[in-house]
Order: sequence, then C-alpha cells, then structure tokens
Amino acid sequence: MSEKGVARVAESESVLRRRATGSAFEWLSTAVRLGLAVVWGWAGLAKISDPAVAAQAVRAYRILPESLVKPVGYGLPFLELALAVLLLIGLAVRVAAVISVVLLLVFIAGIASTWARGISVDCGCFGGGGAVAASQTQYLQEILRDIGFLLMALWLVFRPRTKASVDAWLSL
Amino acid sequence: MSEKNRDGKRTARERMKEERVAREAKDARKKKLLVVGAVLVVLAGAAGIGFAVQSGRSSSDTPKAAPAGAIGPKNLVIPDGPANAPSTLVVYEDPRCPACGAFEREFAPTIDQLQDQGKLYNNYHIVSFIDRHDGGKGSKNGANALACAQDAGYFRAYHDVLYKNQPDETVDSWKDKSKLIDLAKQVPGLDSPTFEACVNTNKYGSWVSAVEQDFDKSGYTSTPTVLLNGKSIYPKNGSEDITPDNLVKWVNEANQGKPLGTTGSASASPAPSSTAAETDPNQAPTS
Repeated sequence: MSEKGVARVAESESVLRRRATGSAFEWLSTAVRLGLAVVWGWAGLAKISDPAVAAQAVRAYRILPESLVKPVGYGLPFLELALAVLLLIGLAVRVAAVISVVLLLVFIAGIASTWARGISVDCGCFGGGGAVAASQTQYLQEILRDIGFLLMALWLVFRPRTKASVDAWLSL
Repeated sequence: MSEKNRDGKRTARERMKEERVAREAKDARKKKLLVVGAVLVVLAGAAGIGFAVQSGRSSSDTPKAAPAGAIGPKNLVIPDGPANAPSTLVVYEDPRCPACGAFEREFAPTIDQLQDQGKLYNNYHIVSFIDRHDGGKGSKNGANALACAQDAGYFRAYHDVLYKNQPDETVDSWKDKSKLIDLAKQVPGLDSPTFEACVNTNKYGSWVSAVEQDFDKSGYTSTPTVLLNGKSIYPKNGSEDITPDNLVKWVNEANQGKPLGTTGSASASPAPSSTAAETDPNQAPTS
C-alpha cells in the first residue's frame, strides 16, 4: 500500500472512532435527557394538586415579596412540566438544559439561603414544603440532590445531541 | 481554452458553492432561532397558563360564609370568653396537632377558669396545615366541625372534647366525619340535624381554607402559637416556661389595675363584637 493509502485508511479509522464515540455520547446524553425529563415531570406534577401548598412552599423561604409568592408558586410547576415535555421529546434540548441549569442554581441558592438564615423549611422540591421542625430539615441532602441534577443539565448544555429526539429529526 | 478562462470558470463555480453554503448556514441559523424562540414562548406561556389555572383552582382567602359570631378581618377568628376582659389570648391550633392536644389538655381548665373570672378573652385561629404535611382530611374536617359547633353556641365544650379525644397525628381518624359527630354527642345539646348537616356538607370549608391561608401569611410556622396580649408565651414567655400557674400569674400581672370583663355567659358564644382584640402578628405588640 502506498503511503497515501495508509494515511487514508488511518484517517477513515479515526473518523469511524470519532463517530463511534460521538454515538456513545449521544446515547449517554439520551439517558441524561430522559432522566432530567423524569425529574422535572415528577417535580412539576407533585406541586400542582394544591395551589395553596405550592404558594406556601415558596412563601416559607421568606425571599420573595408576597406579591410574587403566588405567581411563582402557581407558575413554576408548569414551567417544570414544560421543561419535562421538551426533554422527553428532545426538542431544543440545549435551551431546556440552559434553563434547567438556571433554575437549579436558583433552587440551590434558595435552599442555601434558608439554611444560612436558620429558617427551618422543607424545600418543597417535589411537592409539600413549608416550615418544618428544625430537626426535620434536610438542607444538605436537598442541595446535593440538586447538584446532581445540575450536573445532568450541564452535561446536556455541552452535549445536547441525543438519539430519538425532535432536534435530530429537524436536523437542528 | 486559455488558462485565464478556466480559472474564471472555477472561481465562479466556487463562488456559487460558497454562496450556497453560506445560504444554507443562514437558513439553519434561522431555523434554530425560530425553534429556540418558539420554545421560549411556550415555556413562558406554560408558566403563565399555569398561574391562571391555579389561580382559578385555588380557594379564595375570603370565606363564603363564616360561623356565627366569628370576629376579625374576614371573620376568621372564633372568640371565646368575655370580649371586654382586660387580657386577650390568641391561640393558633390545628385539630390534628399533637402539641395542641397536649396544650389543651394541660391548659383548658385554667383558661376556662380565667375566662369565667372575666380575666381573659380567647381568640382561636383553627388552622389545618397538618393535612398538608401528613396528608388526609382530619384537620379540615375537625376545623369545619368546630365552626359548626361555634354556630350552635358550643364551641368551647366541643373544642375541649375534640382535643381530649384527639387521635395520633399520623392516624387520620377524623377523615371520617361520623367520628366528629359521635364526639359531638358528648356535648349535651350540640348534636342536631343542623349540626350533622353542617359537618357532613363541609359547610365552612371555604372558611377553613381562608383561616389556613391567613395563618400561612401570618409568619407563624407552628402550632400551638399562643400570644398573650400579642406576645408569644408558648413554650416560653421570656425565660419562664408556660405552666398553668405561670399563665394565671402572667394574666394577673397584665390585668393589674384594669376592670374585669363581664362574666356569666362565658361559655356561650359572645355576640360579634369589637375586632380590636385581634392583634396583627406582623406588628410589634402594643402593650
């Protein structure tokens, strides 16, 4: 084989390898995408049944003024559900991932802030929420859990290509 | 064909190709922007529609009907004892809350006595947040039944019976309204078709929900919250623990030099009266 030929084979091998790793990443991203969809779907649905509870969960953080408590308490679960749907069908995955990152950073900051201020609340991340006894707070677990979700969202920001997605179908 | 000519042809072809590539890139960018824009609109719309839907679903913070004699803004507070007594004890209680049960079992006799001596006027906020924490309906049903008892003029007696027969917090016995009606039979004169209908139809459901929403906004986060003349005395008043003896002492100290309230009809529901006794928890106590 000529030198040129060898070079061409090596090149196509590396292309193949790149495609293979690309594909592996796409599968991993697909799993992360669906996982995050489940997280948002669960979080959203759990907050919808009783609007008063959702509002109280927001109020208990003592961060937002009363006029914003209901808009956030009532609207946030639907935003979470919309993110879940986008991630589930794989439409605008990077946008959904960026918004997920922003939301999760806000949640982590909110929980850290109540912890720092010594307010005893349940984060209300997956429904419930509101004030609890000081012995029942779980700030560290809540923050670590959200950091886990944050890492998932960050992965999708940088690797938004996934299998079985509307994005792929639209060749975005 | 001259060299020049061939060069010219190639550059024309290349130029066309470049333009096509540029156009495709532009189209792809446009498509991407369109999708991103549409998605952002959908997300904002979802939050907005959610807010509208939940606003429609959420119960009003103004009750449709309040039990007879309820006082305060929107009539959310049940008064007990002489309205013109010199001291007021505000109590936030949940029918299912075990600490409230313990408080009532320890302090009810003392409080009843202070009321009957014209020394103390009670304002009850019957909240129902345990149903949220533990799930269930017992707090709401219990609060509604207490409102029904207030209507019938037997609030104090029924309130005492409920707390004496309180189930464990995690056992939601009072989701079954017939248990609440059974307990009403321990209060002579309370049980009647009107009372039973009131309990069974959840007549004061909107009031119960409004009282809870008022508590949500109060800044108080636990029950019982007990305020003597606007100052929290549970579980401690300053450095002193609350005990029946201390409660009597604190009331007497607060009442010094003031005329006692009218006694005689203490256990009946007083007529709607001044709302001045109801203190705003967000304001510093004035006394």
